[in-house]
Amino acid sequence: MQEFISQYFDVGFMIDHFDEVLEGFWLTVQLSIVAGVLSLIWGLILAQLRQLPGRGFLPVRFATIAYIDVFRGVPLLIMILLISGSIPSLQFLPEWLRIPQWFGKPDNFWFGVFAITITYGAYMAEVYRSGIEAVPRGQMEAARSLGMSHRQAMRNVILPQAVRKVFAPLLNDFIALMKDTTLVSAIALSEVALVGRDLQSDALNSSALTLGAIMFLVVTLPLARLVDKLISREQGRFTRGAPRVEAL
Amino acid sequence: MGGGPMVRLENIHKRFGKLEVLRGIDLDISQGEVVCVLGPSGSGKSTLLRCVNLLEPPEQGEIFIEDRDICKGAGSAAGEAGWELNFVRQRVGIVFQQFNLFPHKTALENVTMAPEKVLDKPAEETREKATRLLERVGLADKLNEYPERLSGGQQQRVAIARALAMDPHVMLFDEVTSALDPELVKEVLDVMRELANEGMTMIVVTHELGFAREVGDKVIFMDEGKIVEQGKPADVLDNPREERTKKFLGLVLER
Repeated sequence: MQEFISQYFDVGFMIDHFDEVLEGFWLTVQLSIVAGVLSLIWGLILAQLRQLPGRGFLPVRFATIAYIDVFRGVPLLIMILLISGSIPSLQFLPEWLRIPQWFGKPDNFWFGVFAITITYGAYMAEVYRSGIEAVPRGQMEAARSLGMSHRQAMRNVILPQAVRKVFAPLLNDFIALMKDTTLVSAIALSEVALVGRDLQSDALNSSALTLGAIMFLVVTLPLARLVDKLISREQGRFTRGAPRVEAL
Repeated sequence: MGGGPMVRLENIHKRFGKLEVLRGIDLDISQGEVVCVLGPSGSGKSTLLRCVNLLEPPEQGEIFIEDRDICKGAGSAAGEAGWELNFVRQRVGIVFQQFNLFPHKTALENVTMAPEKVLDKPAEETREKATRLLERVGLADKLNEYPERLSGGQQQRVAIARALAMDPHVMLFDEVTSALDPELVKEVLDVMRELANEGMTMIVVTHELGFAREVGDKVIFMDEGKIVEQGKPADVLDNPREERTKKFLGLVLER
């Protein structure tokens, strides 16, 4: 028991290395926020491309569905390795793209952001789609019958309702995304998992990783509670505020 | 506008898969006329109405609004691409059975949205007009309420004001009182009656025989995708010639 505690919960070790771990976690947070925001935007774009009406947009819809299927099916770790391993060798790309170092962040930070955005954009597109499809058909009809274009109707009528419906599931995806940023440790970005792992192999003690896990919980637990709250509020709204069944 | 009718339908056909919902509809509606469409469910009356503003594109036939052919080349994608939906949707307003108000907007915002976004009218002007319209349908005190806080009858009156905000020349009403509690039906019919008295051209799909008799200039009875009988309300409702009309009216009056 004593061994177990000293391996995982060595408080002295945690205090000694707190600053390093916190610095790693801060990078994790930055990675999560940048990739999270980009995924939210990219997912919304994909969801809208998927909903474009008419025969003319059939190829666009088809390509979008193919994209979403492929990137939901490929492991994020493989995406990270594919992007970071070979993008720098693609000589036809401009240097700012081959070796991105925007906002003072190293290229492996941005490769991680790309890989996460590409993958989570596909997940989030599906979440948005479920929200768009949950908006009753009559809403689009009413908007179109008032002379709005498909685009105007989407923007002013459908999406505001859809986003409200999917706020909780999107937040859930964000929590998953945040945890998955640890995979970027595979390409030597000193985020919290890599910092913890280096300390683990140096000192043969896992307490720094435990500390990293605790830092995650400090962020993810309140978010998870918030998701629960939002879901129950949405359900309450549905039973209280919605039109009665006979009116539907 | 020439001397022709406000709305003219010529040989309209529409099918959903194998089911032929409209099987050749011809109809002229002159300016200011109120046409009430009756018929059993599945007779195609709602589909007909939705064809007039191209919410359901007809597959064959022609529709003229103020002498303008609005569905040239019906049935082909190339033809549909040339349709002037903007002209149609601004000339023709529709009110639905389920109201279809925008739940995330207040009553006032429901009415101002289309003029603002589609016609690019300044916010002040649309607000003022929307306020007038909502007063006209008796909802001056509900401007800032959200739809979920309004009764069915109030929601439907907001929906009428919303359609009127685009200054339509023709109004379509698709069983607008069918989803309402009985005590709320009258307030909606009163608004429609007033609109008719002011000279609005209206096509009204309804089961309210009293309304058809009192307000309608013409009653049409539809069954199986065709117009079975049409004429003055008193003639069709009191002395129907066709067996199917008699049977239907018998069933409605039995209720």
